[in-house]
Amino acid sequence: MDTPRKVPVSILTGFLGSGKTTLLNRILSEEHGKRIAVIENEYGEVGIDQALVINADEEIFEMSNGCICCTVRGDLIRVLGNLMKRRDKFDYVLVETTGLADPGPVAQTFFMDDEIREEFSIDGIVTLVDAAHIEQQLGRSDESTEQIAFADVLVLNKTDLVNGEALDRLEARLRDMNRMARVVRSERANVSVDTVLNLGAFDLDQVLERRPTFLEPEYPFEWTGVYSLDIGRYELDLADGPDPAMSLVVVSDQGTDDAALRESAEWCVRRYAEPAEIIRPGEKIPVGKHVNLQLNSPGRKSFFLEVDTPVRVGLYAEHSAEEFDLQLTNAEGATIRQEVERTWVAQHEHDDEVGSIAIERDGDVDPKMLDAWIGELLSERGVDIFRMKGFISLAGESHRFVFQGVHMLFDGQPDRPWGDSPRRNQLVFIGRNLDEQSMRQGFEACLI
Amino acid sequence: MNVASQKGVLRRGWSAAVGDYAIAGGWTLRGDALVVGDAAGGVYAFDGKSGASAWARQGAHDGGVLAMTIHPSGTAFATAGQDGRVLIWGVAEGQVKQAIDIGSSWVENVAWSPDGQWLAVSCSRQVRAYGVDGAEVWRSDDHPSTVSAIAWSSEGELATACYGRVTFFDAPTGELRQKLEWQGSLVSIVLSPDGDIVACGSQDNSVHFWRRSTEQDYMMSGYSAKPSALAFNETGTLLATGGGEAVTVWSFQGSGPEGTRPGVLEFHVQPVTTLAFARREMRLASAARDGTVAVWSLERDGKGRSIGSAVLAGIGAELYWRPDGRALAALDARGGVTVWRIG
Repeated sequence: MDTPRKVPVSILTGFLGSGKTTLLNRILSEEHGKRIAVIENEYGEVGIDQALVINADEEIFEMSNGCICCTVRGDLIRVLGNLMKRRDKFDYVLVETTGLADPGPVAQTFFMDDEIREEFSIDGIVTLVDAAHIEQQLGRSDESTEQIAFADVLVLNKTDLVNGEALDRLEARLRDMNRMARVVRSERANVSVDTVLNLGAFDLDQVLERRPTFLEPEYPFEWTGVYSLDIGRYELDLADGPDPAMSLVVVSDQGTDDAALRESAEWCVRRYAEPAEIIRPGEKIPVGKHVNLQLNSPGRKSFFLEVDTPVRVGLYAEHSAEEFDLQLTNAEGATIRQEVERTWVAQHEHDDEVGSIAIERDGDVDPKMLDAWIGELLSERGVDIFRMKGFISLAGESHRFVFQGVHMLFDGQPDRPWGDSPRRNQLVFIGRNLDEQSMRQGFEACLI
Repeated sequence: MNVASQKGVLRRGWSAAVGDYAIAGGWTLRGDALVVGDAAGGVYAFDGKSGASAWARQGAHDGGVLAMTIHPSGTAFATAGQDGRVLIWGVAEGQVKQAIDIGSSWVENVAWSPDGQWLAVSCSRQVRAYGVDGAEVWRSDDHPSTVSAIAWSSEGELATACYGRVTFFDAPTGELRQKLEWQGSLVSIVLSPDGDIVACGSQDNSVHFWRRSTEQDYMMSGYSAKPSALAFNETGTLLATGGGEAVTVWSFQGSGPEGTRPGVLEFHVQPVTTLAFARREMRLASAARDGTVAVWSLERDGKGRSIGSAVLAGIGAELYWRPDGRALAALDARGGVTVWRIG
């Protein structure tokens, strides 16, 4: 019997007026060589001849597969069941949801029905966001929050109606809610088709390629500069900047390679957790201590560093050097160039209930313990976990184990062999009110 | 195209091919012809004895055929498709006698009443009845969700299934006669010949049935897959169900099937896709996703034994016994049409 490739499905969500129909028409006109089926729940204005547009009445119901009960879309099961019979398979299926739809049932349909799971795979969930109205919508409805949390791609549309600063703020807020998604800005849904189709969005490697820092831990500091200093008295000089004060830890005997920087960063996290010593302009900065430089007086401010043996120091600062035009000068007034500079993913406030958690750990995982942990996590918190994906290094397995999930549904399989690459684990969860610390501890307990 | 191998009562007959997945078909002209519709929208007729092509009409339904029903006279049939149309055909000449535009949605079900007077059609949440001339007689109000299956419970009454409900309509007037409710996604419907028992396959791997006279409902669960294939025998004593690799047969004799053990017929290695009882006989045919076809001889308690088997080139799609029970036609996913004589 044939085992044909699975037909990729994209789910297009977004509130009424966010530009779904415009984007859909754009995709269909640009991909005119392909056989594309569009399943809609609202009578849209899709007017492209070669696309098969199917109207279906949204039919949501609870379905159980023995152990898990969740909502699915019955109309999709029927329509897709018929579409998959054609010998000349569709290249692509697009499911456009109604503005107020929760994307959960659509995504879950592709896990729950055996026949659908055999023939189709979700390529990605694309959420259109009306930049001018999303803030209001987020305040008013759970659906818009869920649409953002579920997305693989967030198209921030109608950017011409919002000023640049507000847009940056909005984008930061959306990224906070969903760190897994790629954010694309557009004016009239004029994004390139590649950014919304054939994403292989459930492939975490691609996500990492696009945003290699997103799994990095967050630090209470943003910037590190490493300076090689002889014996003497040095002046740390700062101009006016965004804050009336800045925290800093000076590390002595600082190495310049990445491992040394990370090691000191971990050490500094603990220092940052301690109460800061207040340092005013003209005062000396102690080494190895959490200090808080007072910067509220106007103009340039100078602080002092004293070195009694030649040493390399690392400055772990709350803000980047540029923000305060930070300069280090010696007694002769010559500026000392930093040997190495590095920025860190800074911690920031998470205002929304919905957020992302990323876990990255080296080593192997005990399959039984992982199974028990995931099982418990999903049964207790599955309602609040919108999406998850990642890969795992299972003890005794030669291949990476990749997984993805929607709410309580979990689907995983072996992927490429580890070969010589270091064995490690990466997991991303997007959900509501997730307890990051207990999830991290839960996963760490599975490590061998 | 492989010629299927066969064993037991299944004797070599003929095989032919249509253009795509063979969706639906039926014997016409008392078995002198077999008509078939495919997923590419083509409609074909074959000589019942030789399999020679009588006529072929490609692209009759833009997007594909979804359903077919044979008029009881055997001289006409109707097809429904993704193009939102119903076509009424003359068998002999292969001409469309009536074309009915239903709307822009798929027309998923079509069924002629047992007396041939009414043609029932479902599209989206609505069911409509047409006369033989293609004129609309009535249309229902919207169902709570899309109508997933329809069946005639008697000459004068139509049954529909949708999410959460089975509804009965008076055929000449469209008046609503009875509603049987159950919160489940019903995917198929079958009625006992006396119209009293209505059984539905449900998306949640169960079969739900009601005795209309008492409005009592019952559920048979424990299936490993969705039991969309259902068939009653002619006396209404046996209900055969798919829903997994095995065929499960419930006996309605005595106080059954409640509290009884069904007959479990094991042969297929993938889920059963379609079931068909031969008329006047305790013979059941089954086909499965693995392409296997089996013929079973059943006992009154639902137990049975295989008396013939064969393998198709693709997933088994539909099975049709010739009205005299002396031949069996199988449609498959690769467009194969296979007919066996029954020994």
